[in-house]
Amino acid sequence: MTAIIQTEKLTKSYGEHRGIIDIDLQVNEGEAFGFLGPNGAGKTTTIRTLLDHLRPTSGRATIFGIETTVDPVAIHRRIGYLPGEFALYDKLTGGQTIDYFANLRGGVDAAYQADLIRRLDIDPSRKFKEYSKGNKQKVGLIVALQHRPDLLILDEPTSGLDPLVQQTFFEVIREAKAEGRTVFLSSHILGEVEKTCDRVAIIRDGLLVKVDRVEALRDLAHHQVELRFSGEVPVAAFSGLPGVSDVTADEHVLRLRVSGSITPVVREAARYELLDFVSREPSLEETFLAEYGRTAGQPA
Amino acid sequence: MATSLRLRRSRSAPNVRGVVHYARSVIGKTLRDSRRTTIIVSALLFLLLISVTAAVANEFDTPTKRKSLADLVAGLPPILQGLAGKPINVETMGGYVQYKYGTFFPIVLSLWSILALSSTLASEAKRGSLEFVAAAPISRRRIVLEKLSGHIVVITIASVAVFLSTAIAGAVNGKLPGDEISVTAAFAYALQLGLMALAAGGLAFALSQFLGRGPGVAIAGAVMFGGWILNGYQGAVPVLAPFANLTWFGWTSNHLPLAGVYDWPSLIPVALAVVLLFVIGVEAFVRRDIGTTSAVPTPSLPRFLVGLGGPAARSFGNGLPTALAWGLGLGIYGLVIAASATAFTDLIQTSPDVARMLQQVFPGTDILSVGGFLQLLFFQFGLILAGLAAATLVGSWSGHETSGRLEMLLATPLARARWVMSGGVAIAGLIVVFVVVAAIGIAIGTAMIGGDLGGPVVGTFALGAFAAAFAGIGVAIAGVSRSSWAAPAVALLTIGTWFVDTIVPAFKLPDLVHQLALSAHYGLPMLGQWDVAGLVASGVLAVGGVAVGVWGFGRRDLRS
Repeated sequence: MTAIIQTEKLTKSYGEHRGIIDIDLQVNEGEAFGFLGPNGAGKTTTIRTLLDHLRPTSGRATIFGIETTVDPVAIHRRIGYLPGEFALYDKLTGGQTIDYFANLRGGVDAAYQADLIRRLDIDPSRKFKEYSKGNKQKVGLIVALQHRPDLLILDEPTSGLDPLVQQTFFEVIREAKAEGRTVFLSSHILGEVEKTCDRVAIIRDGLLVKVDRVEALRDLAHHQVELRFSGEVPVAAFSGLPGVSDVTADEHVLRLRVSGSITPVVREAARYELLDFVSREPSLEETFLAEYGRTAGQPA
Repeated sequence: MATSLRLRRSRSAPNVRGVVHYARSVIGKTLRDSRRTTIIVSALLFLLLISVTAAVANEFDTPTKRKSLADLVAGLPPILQGLAGKPINVETMGGYVQYKYGTFFPIVLSLWSILALSSTLASEAKRGSLEFVAAAPISRRRIVLEKLSGHIVVITIASVAVFLSTAIAGAVNGKLPGDEISVTAAFAYALQLGLMALAAGGLAFALSQFLGRGPGVAIAGAVMFGGWILNGYQGAVPVLAPFANLTWFGWTSNHLPLAGVYDWPSLIPVALAVVLLFVIGVEAFVRRDIGTTSAVPTPSLPRFLVGLGGPAARSFGNGLPTALAWGLGLGIYGLVIAASATAFTDLIQTSPDVARMLQQVFPGTDILSVGGFLQLLFFQFGLILAGLAAATLVGSWSGHETSGRLEMLLATPLARARWVMSGGVAIAGLIVVFVVVAAIGIAIGTAMIGGDLGGPVVGTFALGAFAAAFAGIGVAIAGVSRSSWAAPAVALLTIGTWFVDTIVPAFKLPDLVHQLALSAHYGLPMLGQWDVAGLVASGVLAVGGVAVGVWGFGRRDLRS
């Protein structure tokens, strides 16, 4: 498996302010990799260091086997980048902006460019400053996608996009994957990572706390199980099972939390007369929040 | 909850600290945002007034010298008086300062007022923060009135600095009887400055509510500079006279407090204009949609000039309107001066003393030619404008980083070194544009009176060399440290150069100090006499600056 992005102890510090610390990461060719973390966790710092916009304090990063600080232009030739926040030329039209970036790169397929403009539903004749936030984001996406880069680095790509355009964006990402291209997608919107990515990394306070497959990450999370009995609730029978915690009983209903495999609970439940068995699969968001030691609804 | 409680408390029990604290009120935030500029402008005006009065008193320290000075000024034809004021009581320290610099200081304060008041709401609207402020439980009228009040406070602070420096200068720097500047005179001058600044700023403020910041600044700036020039040259060019009284420069032309002449009523229309413009601006803001202005129809650049081919072309296209505007301004100014040369020559021929004096200052040159006239009246001011033009052109390029555009540009196969070099090439091209446009203006003015085109037209390129040198320094600063520092640094260098040019001869400081100013090394280019040292130094600074910029930018983080 070829590593497209590889970092070794990548660290960036801003004096007293924390940046990123000892990030070890590998993104393989053809995969879509989600990079998750709350605001200020270090996602953008990592991306900007990968792009050589920031110079690492220590450690190193390679993309396509090229060290980022040695030949960034060779790397940039093969990537498409959408920053989390960006500004472009207010006085240029959307079309002129897209053309300008196409000229900077060279070799852009005009038909594909036109197809992206059509699919993302943008009027290229309007000046950039006249666009809504969502339409500016579309221009940024086209700039990042139009040259069919080998690696897409997208920082909060669906920000400002309406749901229909988000669907188009996900289609484009799936197409890129199908063509064997690699996607590195930073987000704090877990739904979009869940939809598009094969693997996920979670960064918190500048430290990489988890890297795993999306499914595995989900498996790590607890299940919320609710059992409705016809008779008395056998609390003691369940509270001692492996992985079970937070057991509460309410008349004929038993609620419990299961970490890891749910099989012991299912086996135990089969010994009783049940009216209902509900096991709610945790969303990635709940997994993420659990990783951070918070529950949904609590302030950060 | 805590915020609303704090807000309620500050409203129910207003106090100075509560009102001024930036986190608690719009006016406090306005004052906080203006604090550095207020300190810089106030200190600059204070030092300039103290220095200029001391220089005048030291240079002309005997009654005989004062009489000679007064005779000389009285003998000058109106065209030579140019942008100076009316020569009244010029044998006194205050009278001479009023004559020579009286109309210049309002320009400094007015420029600040225009930039500040045009941006006070427009910039917030552009970056979106106005949406939040307007959504707070504060009326729009209160928001805009607090913004205006904040600006009035800082202009008042600067005016107080003018008052104090003038009063102190009158008490300390005077050498001869009549040099005293009374407290009333100091107050009258400071009041005039403050009102003129608020009038210029008020115009920009009112216009920017309808047209947006850029057109507001452009029109208010044109009115201010136009009023200054029309008022200055109405005596020499009678056709300008009807237009001279359309602005506050004309209205207050008889109010010369440092010369001991007061025209208090002339300040009333200025004050009324300030109030009227503020009311228009406030009411427009209260009634209009936030963030919506009417576009002023301006011609779009042809596609090939927009510059989509690469970084140099784009930086060039991005700065082209600015370069054209500077070129037009400089060109029109040069045209007026060049076209007035015949009148000047005719007048000088009737005044042999003045002709003799000029020949002593510029020995071996034909100062009575168009080139000589431009060297005398255009070149020095042209250098200042060229330096300021360089600052804006550097700002146009370095703005790619401060605005965040560079974040995407440098994610393309565009090397950092190429980006800086492209910027240098683009800025050089833009300097050529504004110099060529200015040269065309001078050529037209010279041709109108049948003068020799060669010297003046080629001499205009000395302004380009000066601008290129300072632009090189700006690129170096942007590359090594921060892009946001580049344009202000170039503007400060320009003002510093002007300061050295002005102060060194007046204080009879060692020539070595004057030699530090690049402007001292171009010879008399409008007369075709070039000093190669200046050109070489300019070339070294321009090219070396870009090289330093390349080196520095390759080593630092890109700022987002």
